[in-house]
Amino acid sequence: MNKTIIININGIVFHIEEDAYEILKNYMTDVKRHFLNSDDSLEITTDIENRVAEMFSELLATENKQVIVEQDVNTVINQMGRVEDFDAIYEDNSSTTIDADVYNNTGGRRLFRDPDDHLISGVCAGIADYFNIQPIWIRLAFALSFFFFGSGLLLYIILWIVIPQAVTRADRMAMKGQKLNLQGFKDNLEEELSAVKNNLSNMHNQARPTVYKLRDFIGDLLMHIHLFFMGAGKIIIKIIGFAVMLAMFGAAIALIAFLVAVTGFHQVPNGLFPFSIIANEHADRIYLAAFITAFLPVVTIIVVIISVLFNTRSINRTVAALLLIVWLCSVGFLIGFAVNVASHFRSSGKISQIVNLKATPDNIYYLKLSDVKYLTHDDSLRLDVKNNFHNMIINNDDNHSEEPNNVSISIVKSDVDHPVMLETFMAQGYDDADALLNAHNTNYIFNQKADILSFDNRLRRPENSPWHDEHVDITLQVPLNAKVIIDQELSYRVQLNGVDVNGCKDLNKQENATSATFIMLDNGLQCKVDTVVITKTPAQIDSIRRINNAKTIARLQAQVDSALMADSVQKHR
Amino acid sequence: MIVENTQTQMRKGILEYCILSIIAKGETYASDIIAELKKAQLLVVEGTLYPLLTRLKNNGLLTYNWVESTSGPPRKYYVLANEGRLVLEQLDKTWKELEFAVHIAIGDRIPPQAAEPGNE
Repeated sequence: MNKTIIININGIVFHIEEDAYEILKNYMTDVKRHFLNSDDSLEITTDIENRVAEMFSELLATENKQVIVEQDVNTVINQMGRVEDFDAIYEDNSSTTIDADVYNNTGGRRLFRDPDDHLISGVCAGIADYFNIQPIWIRLAFALSFFFFGSGLLLYIILWIVIPQAVTRADRMAMKGQKLNLQGFKDNLEEELSAVKNNLSNMHNQARPTVYKLRDFIGDLLMHIHLFFMGAGKIIIKIIGFAVMLAMFGAAIALIAFLVAVTGFHQVPNGLFPFSIIANEHADRIYLAAFITAFLPVVTIIVVIISVLFNTRSINRTVAALLLIVWLCSVGFLIGFAVNVASHFRSSGKISQIVNLKATPDNIYYLKLSDVKYLTHDDSLRLDVKNNFHNMIINNDDNHSEEPNNVSISIVKSDVDHPVMLETFMAQGYDDADALLNAHNTNYIFNQKADILSFDNRLRRPENSPWHDEHVDITLQVPLNAKVIIDQELSYRVQLNGVDVNGCKDLNKQENATSATFIMLDNGLQCKVDTVVITKTPAQIDSIRRINNAKTIARLQAQVDSALMADSVQKHR
Repeated sequence: MIVENTQTQMRKGILEYCILSIIAKGETYASDIIAELKKAQLLVVEGTLYPLLTRLKNNGLLTYNWVESTSGPPRKYYVLANEGRLVLEQLDKTWKELEFAVHIAIGDRIPPQAAEPGNE
């Protein structure tokens, strides 16, 4: 039992067996190609087709059968003659003879894409056939060249488009440089037919006539991509898929760890942006929604990859729908929360407060960063600070980068003879009142001890209250000619118009100093360049040392004197 | 190779003359021409004939008529055009000359009956 195909040769219908059809089709393609350069190609090929049809009709009539088989096709082809038998006679210019010679020569290979030995489209195999080497070397060269900015890929695609595929037997023989004569054809045909018969199940892509119709590039491309994925590409895809899956597993574990940390242990990174705006009463729900929003896609990717890699059944439809709904809900919740948060930033509020500072007699002020830990009222009570930590300083070991830009200090000239500090608190809120309330609820710690002004690193807001972009601008007004010594630690908080703290240190050639000295002049705060330090002569240094030595000797002498005196008093008693 | 070349050249020239001669006998179908040529061992495959006929037709030496066939598609029956007739007359003359020239050149080397390969 054989499959038959119905063909139409110039209006006459024939039933033909599949194998026979393949041979006939290849023959007609060869014939068409042979006469392609002739002006009368259509007429000649039509004549030949008509004659073939007539011969088929005669064969069917004489043998009284209905289906054309392979043998009939071979009979007709033998009578009509092979294309290479056409060559010698019909052309009348002498170049034909030379052409025919080249064509008959075993060395005369032609470049085709090899459809029988292809990984992607047969370009490499075709080139290898052309140079009569193993295709692996060409493939290797292309694979390596892909890494040079993909230049190999571009070349490959161009070659794919430009090089024709070896469709007919004549093409394949020309590609492999086999002798194009009747014996060669016969050998080739027999070899190929046996191969086709043996591998018919595997080679369905080659044997199906419909595949030959996919001659345009897109069809070709799709087919080869498909084959690529089915074949060698499968391994690469599997490796990539496996890597992605591992990454996704890592992400899933990280997400679970994160969820446990924030909801179970309340280990929230303090002050970092996305966490600082989350109101604590909703925090757990928000974290859960965020977790679901991120976790479900990760799990989906893992499940999909597993089902592709190991050919397992994908997840149940109902479960998938349910998960999708859960995911959409959590996304909706997050969006709702984001809108809610945004609404809390609609209005801004500003509160100013003037603090009068005590003037110092020598008009020198040291600006320092507070190193005292701030304790809330509750904390103070719990620690019982007054009794337990009496006369102790609890140092600030707070290293978190908490909302780092919410304090800025500027220094201007005061109109009065004592320094004045103007604190301006600002915050955002749902409406003006809310914004003002948020600004008011902040707490900035500042204290003055004689000539030392201690500034805190940050503006405090109530515990458990979300961030509302609270910040404070401090304007320190100091009297004219006041010396302001700014600590290095405070340098990035202080806004200076001219030379900054580091620049001032450089000017005074004191790169290692922990502070810089400025002076308030009529045109604002200026770096005080210490001319004495710069112009110190060795003699001056010598005299200073001598004075210091004299002071030390005098002090030691005084100690000795007092000791002697005490001694004498005891003796006297 | 040189031998093959010469043979091809000789056949090529004679082939057209023979085709025209066959058609000159009356309306002829391609396969009839083939049959005659095969008998003369001048041509073995039909495929070669179609381009030749097409070329001769395009040069105005031949015309053809479509004739319905009982088996298969309509057939082309070729007839000699007027110009073809003139060409054939010239070729006849040339052939006589060639025959004479070849006969003189060969001389007694080949017996006359052996020169005809068709006798079997």
